[in-house]
Amino acid sequence: MLVMKNINKIFQTADIQTHALRDFCLQVNEGDFVSVTGPSGSGKTTFLNIAGLLETYSNGEFLLDGEDVGKLNDNGRSRMRNQKIGFIFQGFNLIPDLNLYDNVDVPLRYRGFNGKERKRRIEENLERVGLASRMKHLPSQLSGGQQQRVAIARALATDPRFLLADEPTGNLDSEMAQSVMSLLEDINQQGTTIIMVTHDAQLAQRAKRTIQVKDGRVSELAIVTPHLNQAIA
Amino acid sequence: MFSYYLRLAWISILRHWGLSLLMVCAIGLGIGAAMTTVTVNYLMSADPIPEKSQQLYYVQLDSWDVNDPFDDGLNPPDQLTFTDSSNLMRAKKAFRQNVQAQAFGVIEPNDPEMLPLIVNGRANSADFFPMFNVPFIYGSGWSNESDESKEFVVVLSKETNDKLFGGENSVGKAIKLEGNMFRVVGVIDTWQPKPRFYDISTGAFNDSEDIFVPFHLIADEKISRSGNTNCWKPSGDGFKAFLASECIWTQFWVELKTEQDKADYQQFLNAYVQEQKQFGRFQRPLDNRLSNVMQWLESQEVVADDAQMMMAMSFMFLIVCLLNTVGLLLAKFLGKAPEIGLRQALGASKSTLFSQYIIESACIGILGGVLGLILAYLGLKGVEGLYGDYMKGLASLDANMAIFAVLLALISTILAGLYPTWRACNIQPAQQLKNQ
Ligand SMILES: Nc1ncnc2c1ncn2[C@@H]1O[C@H](COP(=O)(O)OP(=O)(O)OP(=O)(O)O)[C@@H](O)[C@H]1O
Ligand SMILES: [Mg+2]
Repeated sequence: MLVMKNINKIFQTADIQTHALRDFCLQVNEGDFVSVTGPSGSGKTTFLNIAGLLETYSNGEFLLDGEDVGKLNDNGRSRMRNQKIGFIFQGFNLIPDLNLYDNVDVPLRYRGFNGKERKRRIEENLERVGLASRMKHLPSQLSGGQQQRVAIARALATDPRFLLADEPTGNLDSEMAQSVMSLLEDINQQGTTIIMVTHDAQLAQRAKRTIQVKDGRVSELAIVTPHLNQAIA
Repeated sequence: MFSYYLRLAWISILRHWGLSLLMVCAIGLGIGAAMTTVTVNYLMSADPIPEKSQQLYYVQLDSWDVNDPFDDGLNPPDQLTFTDSSNLMRAKKAFRQNVQAQAFGVIEPNDPEMLPLIVNGRANSADFFPMFNVPFIYGSGWSNESDESKEFVVVLSKETNDKLFGGENSVGKAIKLEGNMFRVVGVIDTWQPKPRFYDISTGAFNDSEDIFVPFHLIADEKISRSGNTNCWKPSGDGFKAFLASECIWTQFWVELKTEQDKADYQQFLNAYVQEQKQFGRFQRPLDNRLSNVMQWLESQEVVADDAQMMMAMSFMFLIVCLLNTVGLLLAKFLGKAPEIGLRQALGASKSTLFSQYIIESACIGILGGVLGLILAYLGLKGVEGLYGDYMKGLASLDANMAIFAVLLALISTILAGLYPTWRACNIQPAQQLKNQ
């Protein structure tokens, strides 16, 4: 469970202060699929970065699985990221020097799994995204959609409890976007909590819950129950 | 994790081979230059006669001007007057003693077809040869009796013997030197002590002489002396007056077997100087010194100036190379900022990243060290070309030198890598993962 209470984030640059998040309050339950929409510059990425422990916050309270994130040091935050959180970004963010196998391997190394376990997880997850046959390829040899699927495989390899996705389909054509979305829905079905930032209203509607961020604050649009969701489908 | 970091380092070095090559070259050049000069210094400060250097002593007496002491009074004069060396020679208080000066002359070959040969010589006492373990191919040095009866004898270097006698055994044969006939008593095998410790006043790394003749020939004006002469008061007119003057131009070595012998000899020198004071000489406070070979080389700063200057400069060059490496590493690591941000998102802590990038620096350091070794080897070949036989025996240094070079490269590259690595670890992941 993720709980944010009155989180504020102020970016201080030379001459101006940007209040990216203002008294941001949100609770995301286990197994939820939350889509986040909102105008550009409203603080969506900032929220996701704080949720993913990539960014600190100015004040407020943030509990991840009951643990007060504000009290963790760099090592603790790294461990938490590694064990609980998976990331998917808009820019595909694979390491260009490493082949697909080694890319998926990265978080598993930091987790400290043994060789056999790593191999099993890498193969299983590349299989899951349909790229098992291209393990030895470099990212540059794949299409954008394929790269995004590798990033998903990598995010899933550690069995994260939370999957944070910042415009995962932003650079993909609609067909590719649909297939990535289906993949995310599958993953959510299997119990992973997903928070996804998107500009695509249609995709946003497919999530179980939709929130809108405006001016650094949350405004809940509608709570779509799974029941209703099914009825629509 | 270590092997994983090694693998990542290797992949990164290969992927960015241009940048890696630049860094390896920078470190290699720096290490190569440093190692070349370190080795030269090491060899220059080597003991030229290790089996005996503790028993051979150079004699210094302070006969200088009371109003204007030699070397501002820090060291007694570096040579002796003819008067003093003759007196010490006559006293024969040491196990062996040798008075010497540099000389030169012209040999008229027996073969009228051959051109006269101008030779560098040394005028010395009979003890010179056994004292300095001079190796002979033919014959030997002359005897003390020959010195006393003022015989015209000569010892030839191998090279001179090759020129004059085609390398044959010439012992007993005669050569004409400065118009006088000399009997050859011995031919020296190749002998080139480095530093040429027995006479550093005329160049510590000069070649050893072409011929060796008895010292008394100089006083008898049968051969011309060369080398350094230093006077603090007028020497008067004529050669006789010069010999009796306070000018210093002779060198005096003694061989003393034990510490007791040395103490005795020191006492003898002090007594001698006290005695001379009665004649109005030696007005400075008593400062008579006996320096063994290494002490003597050190006090005369044989390794000094040139080589040490070169070494200092080569280390500065190494620092410049390392600063370059710092810049290149910084460029490389900061170029990886997105990857570093991503690794942080995937669970790498700062300390994890630090290990990874410092290991990458170390790998480049080791490669640079290997290149440096190769360059140092080539550099020493070059120096060998300049110094000739002096550099032989280098092979025996190889293992130590290799380890030293690679360690030097490793440590300096890790130092050079600290700042870039620190910068790399402090990259803010959120900034890097912004949608491009
Ligand atoms: N590192 C930073 N330094 C200063 N200001 C920042 C920084 N990062 C974000 N901001 C500011 O914070 C505000 C929120 O930015 P954020 O990236 O969260 O917007 P967003 O909702 O993700 O927008 P978009 O939909 O365009 O991606 C913006 O006004 C932005 O200029
Ligand atoms: Mg954004």
